[in-house]
Amino acid sequence: MQELLERIAARSSGWIELRFQGRSTKQIAVRNGELEESSSKRIQGIGVRALVDGVFGFASTTDITEQGVLRAVEAAQGAARTSASAKKQRIKGLAEASLGVGTFPVATNDPLDAHPLEEKLALVMKIDERIRQGASSIVSSSASYAEIQDEKIIVTSDGARTHLFVSIPEFRVMAVAQKNGDQCFGNKSNGVAGGWSDLFNLLPPEEMADYAVQMAVEQLTAPHPPGGLATVVLDPGLVGVLSHEAIGHAVEADIVLGGAITADKMNQKVASELITMIDSGASEHLPHATGTLAVDDEGVVTRKTVLIEGGVLCSYLHNRETAAHFGVEPTGNARAFEYSDVPIIRMRNTYIEPGDTSVEDLIAGVDDGYYMCGLGFGGQADSNAEFMFGVREARRIQDGKVGELVRGATITGNAFDVLHSVDAVGNDFHWDLGAGTCGKSQAAKVDAGGPHLRCKAMIGGRQ
Amino acid sequence: MNNETQLRERCREALELTKHHGAAEVEIFAQTSHAISADIEKHDLQTSSSQQETMIGVRAMVNQQVGFACTNVLDELEATCADAVKLAKASPKDENNVLPTPVAFEPVADLYDPKAESFSVSDAVQQTIRMIETADSIDSRLILGGGTFAVNLQTRCIVNSNRIDLAENSSLFTYYALATAKDGEKVSNMAFRFDASHSVDGIDVVPVATRACQDALGSLGAVRGESFVGPVILSPSAVQAVLVSLVAFQLNAKNAVRGSSRWGKLLGETVAHSSLTVTDNGRMPGGVATESFDREGMPHRELTLIDSGKTAALMHNAYTAVAMHVANTSHGSGSARSTPGIGATNLSIEPGEVSKDELIGDIKQGLLVNRFSGSSNPISGDFSGVAKAAYLIKDGKLDRPVSGTLIAGNVFEVLQNLSGISSETERVFTAILPFLRLEGVSVTAE
Repeated sequence: MQELLERIAARSSGWIELRFQGRSTKQIAVRNGELEESSSKRIQGIGVRALVDGVFGFASTTDITEQGVLRAVEAAQGAARTSASAKKQRIKGLAEASLGVGTFPVATNDPLDAHPLEEKLALVMKIDERIRQGASSIVSSSASYAEIQDEKIIVTSDGARTHLFVSIPEFRVMAVAQKNGDQCFGNKSNGVAGGWSDLFNLLPPEEMADYAVQMAVEQLTAPHPPGGLATVVLDPGLVGVLSHEAIGHAVEADIVLGGAITADKMNQKVASELITMIDSGASEHLPHATGTLAVDDEGVVTRKTVLIEGGVLCSYLHNRETAAHFGVEPTGNARAFEYSDVPIIRMRNTYIEPGDTSVEDLIAGVDDGYYMCGLGFGGQADSNAEFMFGVREARRIQDGKVGELVRGATITGNAFDVLHSVDAVGNDFHWDLGAGTCGKSQAAKVDAGGPHLRCKAMIGGRQ
Repeated sequence: MNNETQLRERCREALELTKHHGAAEVEIFAQTSHAISADIEKHDLQTSSSQQETMIGVRAMVNQQVGFACTNVLDELEATCADAVKLAKASPKDENNVLPTPVAFEPVADLYDPKAESFSVSDAVQQTIRMIETADSIDSRLILGGGTFAVNLQTRCIVNSNRIDLAENSSLFTYYALATAKDGEKVSNMAFRFDASHSVDGIDVVPVATRACQDALGSLGAVRGESFVGPVILSPSAVQAVLVSLVAFQLNAKNAVRGSSRWGKLLGETVAHSSLTVTDNGRMPGGVATESFDREGMPHRELTLIDSGKTAALMHNAYTAVAMHVANTSHGSGSARSTPGIGATNLSIEPGEVSKDELIGDIKQGLLVNRFSGSSNPISGDFSGVAKAAYLIKDGKLDRPVSGTLIAGNVFEVLQNLSGISSETERVFTAILPFLRLEGVSVTAE
């Protein structure tokens, strides 16, 4: 396949990008002891992007014969030519980039295919059973396992020759507890870029099940928090969500050019000097972050991109088009979820660098506030960096001690205001968004995390 | 493979192959789609594209054990059929695993517009240009940061071992605009508007762009709001975000079977104010989700879900109908990429008799929420989030746009405290919704 794509790219009259993708997925879901899904999916196809007269055109096909690919090339070039008269700002060129050449295998010693379906099904059934037996008030349980395995070949007419493999397993649990007609749920999920044992090394599925049960049961009797501004300690999960949703999207160069609040903030102080934020194709601090990617879908070798250093905004996230527009190097953030998706600017592993305060000291410094952990139900952010996230677990902190759970808490505000208010950064680090899927007109597997942070934020609650 | 006859033949072939590999019961669901789209980015045309794909999903049952596999690699169809059987054999038995039998029905008219076949990439590009020009004609501070015009020509086909053998063509044009207004340091909320049409003649992108732009301009210069507990008016978009997913979750029979729906045990009981009636109609003329038959080949029909505040019906597919010993309501949902789930089609809240302005008219202090950015938990009912493009209501009038204002409450409680439904309705994706006035909502200003 790579040879065919290279031959077609070499013959192309203008710039062209050819991406083959073969994807296999498996999904097992059990609820209340009954199998809800046991499925497999196999897709393959080729996405072609052509640049003609300063305009991109795209076409995809499942016909991977030479004739089929050539037809897709013609369609992509035709779409570009059709658009050329209507586009106001033509693309003047693509930024020079370090293009990936070679094979990039999955980093694991325990490949997913070494574990049979029966083993995976048995584990899901066992964990679902553990949830149901977790407490007498549990009325519904679920556990699920999913895996994505990709083979990608990315060839561009200007030199990318990448053969890339991706493996992402995920595990999810949920418990619903009921009391006097009221129902609450607890959940936990985990995902990694790697193999079977990589998924469970840091977070065994039994721990996930027990946590979900505890959250569901405890929330039944928890009060709602009063709304208002509060001092909060955010766990690495929420720090990751804040970094990804509220800051990360606002520094994607296509969003910046669309009018994001970051458009005129380059080299300005946008956060506390304690904050350094990164988006990286590698998995720094801890291995197997889900957004780990050696080469992006434009064939560009990914970089560790420092977005905010010491509180100062110092980079956006780029593809080759926006890098040329801003006169910088591409950061390797062009990604496409499936062969039929156009590569667009997406994050990879987004995080805040650890500081030097212990988590105990972060909490001890709060007289009256909240300890907030993980993304709960729902979350959104705008390009003006305003955000709202449901919180999975929120507890009162009083006199420096973590206490009772509160129910239905949300955290909201302007992400840059929140980051300005940071007065201490923890010395720990975790990835926590591994099972998450980012949505921006198409899906992307990303990860996010960081240390604990202490800051001020609005808590959504009841008057 | 690009026509109904060929797709149907391929499905029949897959059915026989799956039986040959040991399945007792088989369902083949296939979709061929030919899509064209043109995207807006940075207030300019970005990429135009065309895609074509055929996906075939195989559901195999062996002794009421079920497995599912799908592929778009049609040369490997037999391997996919074999894989579905293998997955079934490794699965536990569930006596509710059944396939439906054929039911006669009249196909829905006007789902497919032959003129759509000649709709080109160039036509899609022209529609996106109209959206940008519309924004330019309204105000120079507006930016269409995003937008899309897309057309999808689709053939769906389902064949099962109980002799269901159906196919249907459809055309659907969808378009949205994502507008932001920027004036110096002031940046508005992002405003989103969407519409759709099954026919070429029904396409009209101008109102979509216009309303997105008006929403963005309206939220520019928003100031701090007020904190209170009181009346809140949700726009159709906010109704969709706060209420619709909970209603659809609670009336999903699968959640009743699972024990995660409290309404699942409350059929015929009052769950909302008597003014609230909710229906679902998969045959609604012009509906975005309109199709003649569901994911399992059962004919769609109109169903009243909540009747004057009382739960009237749950949404079922074949599995839950057997599990709960009731009739299938044809709510099997999903694509050829997955096993059938349960989902609403064109869900509607019946309009009221007063206008939106009348709903506002007797409020001394309240909030109009045009967009809700937050969470609404379909199990506990708790909702909390930011009121976007919101206006403070004072003495029966819109007083000023406000930002940084949170609303919170519980959907189960506010449905009982519903104090008004507007006569105006709007399409929000697949739903048709009015403005709703809720009482006792907690409003917190930053």
